[in-house]
Amino acid sequence: MDAFGMGLVAAMGALATVAGASEDIDSDIGSQSNPNSQVQLAAQVGNPHRIYNKAIAGEPPSNALWCTTAAIMAYVLIEGYHMPLLFAAVAGASLAALFDGVMSTSAYLGRNASQARFNQWIYLDIIRYTTPSIMAHVWITSFCIVLISIIQVYILTPHHPFPIPVIAIIWGLTVGAIGSSVGDIHYGGEREFQWRLFGQGLNTMLSGQIVRKAEAGLRNSIDNAWFCAKFGGPCTGMGFGLTVFLDNWRTTVFDPLTQAGLAIAMGVFFVIVMNLYNFYCEVSARRKYGPYPGYKGDIAA
Amino acid sequence: MAAVRGFKIEPKQLRIYGLVGSVVGIYLAVILNAVTGTNIFSFVGALAALFGVVWGANAVRRVCAYGIGTGVPSIGMLSLGMGTVAVLFGLNIAEQLGVGMLGVIIALVYSLVFGYVVGLIANRVMGFNIPVMEEGLTDLSGAGTMAILGWSFAISGSLGYVDIVKDVFNTGFLAIIFICGGLAILHPFNANLGPDEKQDRTLVNGVMVGGLSTIATGVCALLTLGLAAGMVQIVVGFAVWYYFYVWYFRLARRDAAAVVGTGLLPPSAL
Amino acid sequence: MSFDINTVIYFLEIVVGGLLVGIGVHFVPVGGAPAAMAQATGIGTGTVQLAAGSGLTGLLSAGLMMHAMSLSPTFATDGYSIWPIVATGAVGAMIMMDATMLTGSWIYAYAVGAPFASAKVNYDPITGFSQPPYVAPGTVGQGIPTICFVSGTIGAAMGGIGGAMIYFPLVLINHNPAMSAIFAIGIFMVDAVLASWNIQGTIEGFHDPKFKKWPQAFKACLVSTVILAVVAVLITPIIGGV
Repeated sequence: MDAFGMGLVAAMGALATVAGASEDIDSDIGSQSNPNSQVQLAAQVGNPHRIYNKAIAGEPPSNALWCTTAAIMAYVLIEGYHMPLLFAAVAGASLAALFDGVMSTSAYLGRNASQARFNQWIYLDIIRYTTPSIMAHVWITSFCIVLISIIQVYILTPHHPFPIPVIAIIWGLTVGAIGSSVGDIHYGGEREFQWRLFGQGLNTMLSGQIVRKAEAGLRNSIDNAWFCAKFGGPCTGMGFGLTVFLDNWRTTVFDPLTQAGLAIAMGVFFVIVMNLYNFYCEVSARRKYGPYPGYKGDIAA
Repeated sequence: MAAVRGFKIEPKQLRIYGLVGSVVGIYLAVILNAVTGTNIFSFVGALAALFGVVWGANAVRRVCAYGIGTGVPSIGMLSLGMGTVAVLFGLNIAEQLGVGMLGVIIALVYSLVFGYVVGLIANRVMGFNIPVMEEGLTDLSGAGTMAILGWSFAISGSLGYVDIVKDVFNTGFLAIIFICGGLAILHPFNANLGPDEKQDRTLVNGVMVGGLSTIATGVCALLTLGLAAGMVQIVVGFAVWYYFYVWYFRLARRDAAAVVGTGLLPPSAL
Repeated sequence: MSFDINTVIYFLEIVVGGLLVGIGVHFVPVGGAPAAMAQATGIGTGTVQLAAGSGLTGLLSAGLMMHAMSLSPTFATDGYSIWPIVATGAVGAMIMMDATMLTGSWIYAYAVGAPFASAKVNYDPITGFSQPPYVAPGTVGQGIPTICFVSGTIGAAMGGIGGAMIYFPLVLINHNPAMSAIFAIGIFMVDAVLASWNIQGTIEGFHDPKFKKWPQAFKACLVSTVILAVVAVLITPIIGGV
């Protein structure tokens, strides 16, 4: 453990938090992954809309693609042309953003064209002004993750044995899984159905009844991202940041060669603390919100 | 406006095109490279991979139309996962037996058998009872293998096990083949999901993403094969991508309810 | 190919690793698309994606630990020891899964404003809290109650151990960390997808009645992992490369 190593771990944690937040906002602007099923359903129940239907696989594979694309470009520039590390990361992120633009527009065109019988139109102005926002957030996500991979392989000791593209694909899958599990709930459980009663999950009767008419004019995806950037994005950033930071912090503080047992024990300690914190959240929610007033069964609250 | 070109191909025909096209393409690339003594023609391997992508994308369409409950992305990852193991196995065994050139065939045969076994497991052990499951998974496994082999050749310029390990695995470039190839197989159906999904639009989307993959492997080839071969591959990839993207846009315009520059919601829904 | 007792041990390690991955997927509480709308209990994402994310994070930590072991000054005499590698893999995966579930809980509790409840049991087996009064009308539960959280932690641990156990013998066979990592990712994907097909999309954890279907996944993963393990031990490094 030394000051330089700890500084790098702190930097990696910060980069991971930013990457998590931007990944979630990118998936909210594009309405990707699970809440997208409601967007898809909306047209089928008679609610055509102006929401961007970016259906690329699911967040983990698609984020893995952006991060890996950025990583191979960075790897080629670093190993083949001996470019500085930051420049390589920037170039890689730019290529990833371009790839993302292509895939997002193809998904929007394809999904809406396949719903022709529900009278769902393709709006070219939605493509024009929403896609650049998506590309920008993908740029941030892939830049941060490529930088994390570069730090792990080239700067932090001991150097990680996997090459940058493999590390990038793994972190890409992870940030996608976290973004899909955390931030999408804020979008799908709150913003997408903001007109219904607050304080409960979505009633199945309301499936497909997404908000299409906004505060002023028609709702589009940029409005959704504005809302979710206030809470869902930062929470996702915390999730990914905690993962990267805690994992690397304990192997930097405790030398993996001689103090492996201590590093593992530290990890177990973090796991136990997180379990207890979730228990606290559960107890606190039960106490403050109480049972649902319409409950008619006979089990005591 | 002239009518946009559409098509409809039977699954059996697509399987033949995919199988023959990718195998012939890879061997053609080997021959061209050997004859000219350069590695400029490695991009033909990438074009061979496109045949595999089309084969796989159609198999995804057929299997997922039955609704397997967990979605399209997992099938794409499964296909590429099976393909990765098959490629390593085929090339290594061929080298050990001294018939390095037959690595492609060995990998293909193994992957078809393994795909069939997984399809049997899904239907018998898990009780899916989907009629096209064995066939579809055999297709997917073979398609994944040929896509990986084609793009691996495009990066390394040789079919030797040692070269492929040095250029594709040690550098980690297999990761981009894995994920971009996997998305080329699964994105078409996922992006065109809906009751009005048409085969031609889906398959054209697959080739378009395959063009993106070729650009990516071209960037990798800048490191492993040198500036000339890499640039040729990037240009070829860009050309493939552009042609098929424009075609895809025209097909989407053909199929959609309406394509408008801007507008409010459709009058029926306001 | 050199067949000796070590080959059999490597083969068994890969098979056990694959089985752990497959069964571990059944412990992770996945609610699928409905959970993202707070309509079902569990994490709102797909089974394969979450299993892959956590297991591969474990693989990352295990790879680093294994490499660090090889840098040890006593490495020539001690060789590798599997236990720290496997434990690190488990801990790495558990941290990722717990951070995900915890931050998800924040959103359920504070943004959506719904108490956590499971619709599959009447009383939480660990805390004893009653569940039905807190299930919103029209939904099948929401959030991540304690039983699901603990079940998810166990599932992540199994996935991490499985990933590390697949990676460890591969490196010993072909001495190539990068290639072994990619190979391990391939095997991991096959097992995770087969297990997720068994679950058919959503499961709440080991208290869910669907959990009783795990023998089918066991058989499926056994057959496919045996084939993949045979392939793995047949691949030997060719002199002149690697």
